[in-house]
Amino acid sequence: MRTVFFILIGLICLPGFARAEAVPDAEVKNLLARIRENRITQADFQEERIIHLMKKPILSSGRVWFQPPNRFRREVKGSSPSLTVSDGHQLWIYYPNFKSAERYPLGKRSPLDSTVAAINSALNLENVENTFQIAAAKIDKGYELALTPRTASMKRVFQKLDLRINDNLQADRTNMLLPNGDRIVTTYSNQTRAPVPPSTFEFTPPPGTDITTPLGR
Amino acid sequence: MRISDFIARIITQRRALVWCGATALAVACITILVTSLRLDSDVLNILPSSFRSVQGLKIYDREFEQTRELTFALLCDPNDVDKLEDFAPAFAEKLRQQPWCTRVLAGSPMATPDGIRDLQSIAAPLLLNLEPGAFNETMSILQPQKIRDRLHRLHQHIEAGSPRAEFELSFDPLGLIAPALKPFAESTAIEQDQPLTSPDRTMRIFLAVTNQSSISAFECQRLMRRVNAFRATAHEGWDGGPLEILVTGRSAFVSEISLSMRYDILATLAGSVVLVGTIFFVGFRRWLPLLGMGFSLLLSCLVALTLGLLIFGRLSMVSVGFCAILVGLGVDFAILIFGRYQQARTDGESHGQAIATSVAKLGKAVFFGALTTAVGFLALVLSGSMGFSQLGVLIAIGIFVAGLFMCSILFLFIRERQAPVRHDWVFEIIKKYVCWVVRRPAPMLIFSSALLLLLSAIGFSPIPPLHFEASTRSLEPKNSRASVALQKIMHKMPMRWEPVLAVVHATNPQELHDDWQKIAVHWSDLQAAGKIKSFSTPAALCLSPKSMQRNREQLSAVNFPAAHETLEQTLDAEGFSRDAFASAFTLLDNLQHLVDPDTPLPNWRAQLPRSSSWWFLVDRYFGQDPLLTAGFVTTNQPVSTHAQREDLGRNLPVLLIISALMAFFDVSLLAILYRDLRLWIIQVITLAFAIGAMIASMKLLHIDLNMLNVLSFRLVLAIGVDYGIYVVLIWQKTREIEHDVAGVVKPVVLAGLTAVAGFGSLVLAKNPALSSLGSACAIGIFWSLVATIFFTLPAMAAAEPKPRHENKIDTD
Repeated sequence: MRTVFFILIGLICLPGFARAEAVPDAEVKNLLARIRENRITQADFQEERIIHLMKKPILSSGRVWFQPPNRFRREVKGSSPSLTVSDGHQLWIYYPNFKSAERYPLGKRSPLDSTVAAINSALNLENVENTFQIAAAKIDKGYELALTPRTASMKRVFQKLDLRINDNLQADRTNMLLPNGDRIVTTYSNQTRAPVPPSTFEFTPPPGTDITTPLGR
Repeated sequence: MRISDFIARIITQRRALVWCGATALAVACITILVTSLRLDSDVLNILPSSFRSVQGLKIYDREFEQTRELTFALLCDPNDVDKLEDFAPAFAEKLRQQPWCTRVLAGSPMATPDGIRDLQSIAAPLLLNLEPGAFNETMSILQPQKIRDRLHRLHQHIEAGSPRAEFELSFDPLGLIAPALKPFAESTAIEQDQPLTSPDRTMRIFLAVTNQSSISAFECQRLMRRVNAFRATAHEGWDGGPLEILVTGRSAFVSEISLSMRYDILATLAGSVVLVGTIFFVGFRRWLPLLGMGFSLLLSCLVALTLGLLIFGRLSMVSVGFCAILVGLGVDFAILIFGRYQQARTDGESHGQAIATSVAKLGKAVFFGALTTAVGFLALVLSGSMGFSQLGVLIAIGIFVAGLFMCSILFLFIRERQAPVRHDWVFEIIKKYVCWVVRRPAPMLIFSSALLLLLSAIGFSPIPPLHFEASTRSLEPKNSRASVALQKIMHKMPMRWEPVLAVVHATNPQELHDDWQKIAVHWSDLQAAGKIKSFSTPAALCLSPKSMQRNREQLSAVNFPAAHETLEQTLDAEGFSRDAFASAFTLLDNLQHLVDPDTPLPNWRAQLPRSSSWWFLVDRYFGQDPLLTAGFVTTNQPVSTHAQREDLGRNLPVLLIISALMAFFDVSLLAILYRDLRLWIIQVITLAFAIGAMIASMKLLHIDLNMLNVLSFRLVLAIGVDYGIYVVLIWQKTREIEHDVAGVVKPVVLAGLTAVAGFGSLVLAKNPALSSLGSACAIGIFWSLVATIFFTLPAMAAAEPKPRHENKIDTD
């Protein structure tokens, strides 16, 4: 479940910051405004997951597409491929190797709702200063933003989220520390602002797919 | 010597002795009440005890931990839902720190690491409790190849980013826990059936089990004082808009009801004393007899309460209505007796002679009045409700004692040397009315008949209807904070507290297990057929000694060393961390240990930590006796309320039928007493008119019937019969109409007005049932009085005219 949270946060943060609004610190406020003007919609990624179950980090790579506020698509390539698609109402994770898919509902008091809602509101201009403590620092080729969640719902998702913004004011790295000590580091490249067709965020399981609903609904 | 003369002599010549006797009686009653009084505040005891549904609720109420459970709710504005989510853990922690709180449930136990760990800790007994087929299938997971396949598959899923695989390995590294808990998860779904957060997230629920030693009224009041003190400071740390902290639960209700009972008694007593006292003084211009009447009534109440307590052991809250009814009835006796005494004094009789005359002339009427009333209320024993049975017995005892005291102790408060009233304008007005009616009864008879007939037509016609408020909420105090809290919670989360309850009490664990297995199958069928929405049972937690023993024997076939070794090798091969799988090795060791037949079979009760939030779930299903259990069915529509209405709906007709039977008894008694068909018919018509006009008034004033004020019909009948007896008997015997009839009608009028005032004062009560009882009785007695004065009297004058030259009353 925490992986889902991570994916959501990573994906939402990427363009979300591009549309973030004012925060108390004037410089951060300006920075967020400029990021918003430079909103991106898709990028390649490389991910490193350090989870307590495994001795070594799990590496993966792929591409993400995003459309605010909660539509996204994430394709993981390699020997263990997967496809994650959210249309805002439900979240699909499809595993081609196993011909299986997991479906998670959004809305109707799904456990994911508070996470998605909290993250969205956190990235909303009106609530960002209420939901995050934001510390910004200028680095050689961009900025480092350290986001610490204020609300209980987000604290259940992660302890801390570090974002690195490049010279082009695009998020190129996220580092998330989860409550159980797991850590997920994602690096983005080839960010673009090309329009994304709506069908990108639709998913229909291929015939013969074994579909499960882990949340029971 | 006649009894009346004996009483007169004792009162006048042995005053000190009578005073000592009355004082000793009062002291004895107070001593017994103070040392032994136990109030039964359970609203369920007002319902018919013969109903199985009521019996089940009583068992659940008495034997299950939830009676000591308080429900807290935080309610905020929609804009503050995030703040509420932040504030909730802090509030829960504050709640846990309260000295009166033993356990708090602030969210689904599955959402916390402790909750998951606690669940893992009870896996072994639940695993052994599986049905043999399921157990063997589950244990096959420990075959080396299956261990390897499972871990490899899950590893691949984790590599692909599956959150499910990660959660599965964290929760159930060996794959045995999920099958063991499957029956438990299937039969209990607390988060779905009993959500702790409202859908709009503006309300959060916290369940707290208190450490109160009992649920007595005083203990609940003490607890709620501490709870309210906590509530006053619990906002600290909240920085949002308005935040309501609601509290409800058994203790909150008991506390409020008991406190409102105290207020009701004081407020209605004060109102009653002022109103009755004013009317009494206007009528007789004497204060001391009024004091005597109050003392006699108080002593009657004490005697009745004491005897009632000795008979029943504890007194129901509905008995609060007893004092009001007894006062309403007893006042009549006092006013009649004193009125007759005063009239005798005005006629020139001495103090002793006047006492003897009043007792002699009205003793019979008082006796029959008390008899009809007592028998009528004793019939409530047939209602099947403990509360109403007590009420009937208390009134029956009280009214007899009141009749006795009014003919004796009341005279202790009448001074011998006090001069009779010279100019009695009330008596003069009534005397003029009596003269006019006797001379020309037709105009008044026609007018009153027309009015009462019209009202009776309205009353007995189905339109407009008289509503029955069959909900027990009609008995809750007005503006009850606990009730308001419950209503708000129900409004926000209508799924809460609406399941149908099934109670199973077995004689041994195996029987309990088997019973619940059968019930679960039956309910599954009902659910599949769409007849019920969902259900939850303790079936998974009811351990079967037979299954556990049989499954333990099967464990010996499992190669635990091989499983242990395979697990180690596979973890290394797949790159898993051994530390993360420590609980898997522990479970393997525990199961291997159980192979030894000398090892006691595990019990989840011993393994689940006392601080675990899962006990909230367990306590829903298990009583203090582990063999006493409850299951819950959620229906497709709120039939619990419907069923309740039906049950109560059945009860209301029972009470009305009893009232009808007693009315039959009353009219039969009147027939024997009067031995005059015409007078008897007049009296019966009077009673019908009074009841008809009463119902019409209730309809027009939109006063609903409820569990308590339905008794008013019985009371109005009793008082109506009494008024009839007083007036008809004196009519039969009088020879000096103006003097004798007016001499009785005046006390009847005053008694009626004081009864109306006394019952009217009950409107001040916070308890809506009590206030509606007061208003219904006041209306009914008013119409009884009106019918007696303006219909019975002219009707008798028309039916059996008396020559005005008869100027002397017959001697008995």
